[in-house]
Amino acid sequence: MLTTLATLVAVSLAFQSSEGQGQGQGRGQGVGDTTFAVQSGARLDVNNFGGEIVVHAWNQNNVRVRSSHSSRSRVDVSASGTTVLVRTEGRRGPPSIVDLDITVPAWMGMTLNGTYTDISVDGAGGSVTAESVQGDIEVTGGTGNISLKSVEGGVTLSKTKGRIDVNSVQGDITITDATGGGDITVESVDGDIVLMRIDAANVDVNTVDGDVTYEGTIKNGGSYRLATHDGDVTLVVPPAACLSGSVSTFDGDYDASFAVDTVRAGKHRFTLSVGRCSSPAKIEVETFDGDIQLRRPGEVELETPEHSEHNKWKNKNDHEEDNDFNFDFHFNYDGAKYAAYTSAAESAAKYARKYARIYSREWNLERRTRCDSC
Amino acid sequence: MNDIWINRLSEYLDGELDNEERAALEAHLATCGQCYATLGELSQVVTRAKALQNTEPATDLWPDIRARLMPARDTRIAPAPARSRRFAFTIPQLLAACLALVMLSGGVVWMALGGGARRAPFDNSANEPTPPPEFRTVSNERWKVQSDMAIADLQDALTLNEGKLDTATVRIVRQNLAVIDRAISQAQRALKRDPGNTYLNLHLANTMRQKIDLLRRANALAGES
Repeated sequence: MLTTLATLVAVSLAFQSSEGQGQGQGRGQGVGDTTFAVQSGARLDVNNFGGEIVVHAWNQNNVRVRSSHSSRSRVDVSASGTTVLVRTEGRRGPPSIVDLDITVPAWMGMTLNGTYTDISVDGAGGSVTAESVQGDIEVTGGTGNISLKSVEGGVTLSKTKGRIDVNSVQGDITITDATGGGDITVESVDGDIVLMRIDAANVDVNTVDGDVTYEGTIKNGGSYRLATHDGDVTLVVPPAACLSGSVSTFDGDYDASFAVDTVRAGKHRFTLSVGRCSSPAKIEVETFDGDIQLRRPGEVELETPEHSEHNKWKNKNDHEEDNDFNFDFHFNYDGAKYAAYTSAAESAAKYARKYARIYSREWNLERRTRCDSC
Repeated sequence: MNDIWINRLSEYLDGELDNEERAALEAHLATCGQCYATLGELSQVVTRAKALQNTEPATDLWPDIRARLMPARDTRIAPAPARSRRFAFTIPQLLAACLALVMLSGGVVWMALGGGARRAPFDNSANEPTPPPEFRTVSNERWKVQSDMAIADLQDALTLNEGKLDTATVRIVRQNLAVIDRAISQAQRALKRDPGNTYLNLHLANTMRQKIDLLRRANALAGES
């Protein structure tokens, strides 16, 4: 413990002293890059006001923290117990944009918080708690408890084995390859929810304005609730599934592509059962204004909007690479330029947006302070 | 608060009211926002409780329990035969039962896994059984809150506090409150035409719960600012 603490104090000092000395940084820019050892069981706790938190995993018992920010901000790395704390602070007033790139041991659990912050985690092997007010959250991996929350921003979770709790007020939620069998709770107000290749016995999905899609196991004795107010619901039912429950749509159609024992249980509600077994899965599928579809695997083209756009561009390039050399070269050259322009434009827009929010906030605070002192 | 109907919501959810009682309760639901919110939360509790697995204890506890109950008598009492779980309780009983179920199942699993011995000292969230959302709801005693008053109070608080949030966040919160209000309005209109519709009643209850959740979250964000 003392060793860890002493190391981190030293790290903190070293980290701060390195600010402003990075290569390729303009005047007024700060960078930090430091690596230190952590003991098994340590946890990462990050709080960043604005910018990015990017976390990677590696097979070392070391944590590497790299940062990029203006000279008005600083990054502090410290310890509380064996929790590694990473905090961003403004030298005068609130911090501005700070981009954090952190590499941690694969086993390390983490808590990541941001206000105007995009959060990305790749290869996590421990529990992950991530929360942002305005920003996207993208997590690959994770075991134990996975809790991801955003007010304005999409949430993407993949290749995870934990108990999942995802919440976004405004933004799409996509969960793929959740194979740990943990319970899944997903809720949004305004956004589509897509769950693909899921292995879970208890699933509760709820949105007010958006479509809901579930594709995965339906386990005997399990519970699956998919609900939306304004949107379609698609449930992909494996051929061997045994289930009973109900579907309800106030203003929409219900349709199954395979044989389902269906009984009308009300003006807008059907009870149904598929297969015979002693302990069928319980399903509840509901939409106020939308259609309900029960489909078999392969009958629904499942893709996430964000990834499908990305893949479309990528596949197009892959296809073009099959052409002759000259054309390919010419295309790639233009493509690279286009990609660079696109990237710059996207980055500019992103940072302009975030800076605008932060400076607006700072200005309001300052104005309030001035008024208070009047 | 109408205690008569509040205490019978679990029976309503279990389909155990007769037609007359059911009609009367649904008529009451059409006018009682608090009852909607309570119904929505109860529905979640019941769904969650039904999903809990029956878990055998690590050891046979019955002899010890029997000895404590009747120390002076040697009467052989067989454990009651297993019956299917039913959920026809009053609300306090239901919530207490759910709490016990969660603690018991979580505790047994925790013991079975030897969590106390193997738990990483600083990664509590990874190994400890985390209470499900309903448990947190119960612990906050949200079921006691009258939803209409709660919504009004939370909206008043947000009006006072939203100056602490930046304008973009306020805009997002307002937009999404409007989305929920539109959904509530549509559900209420539908219920006027079909007041006995179980789905609509539960849907409205659930949507009102989401509004309360969003208001609480927005106020919490303002509090953190």
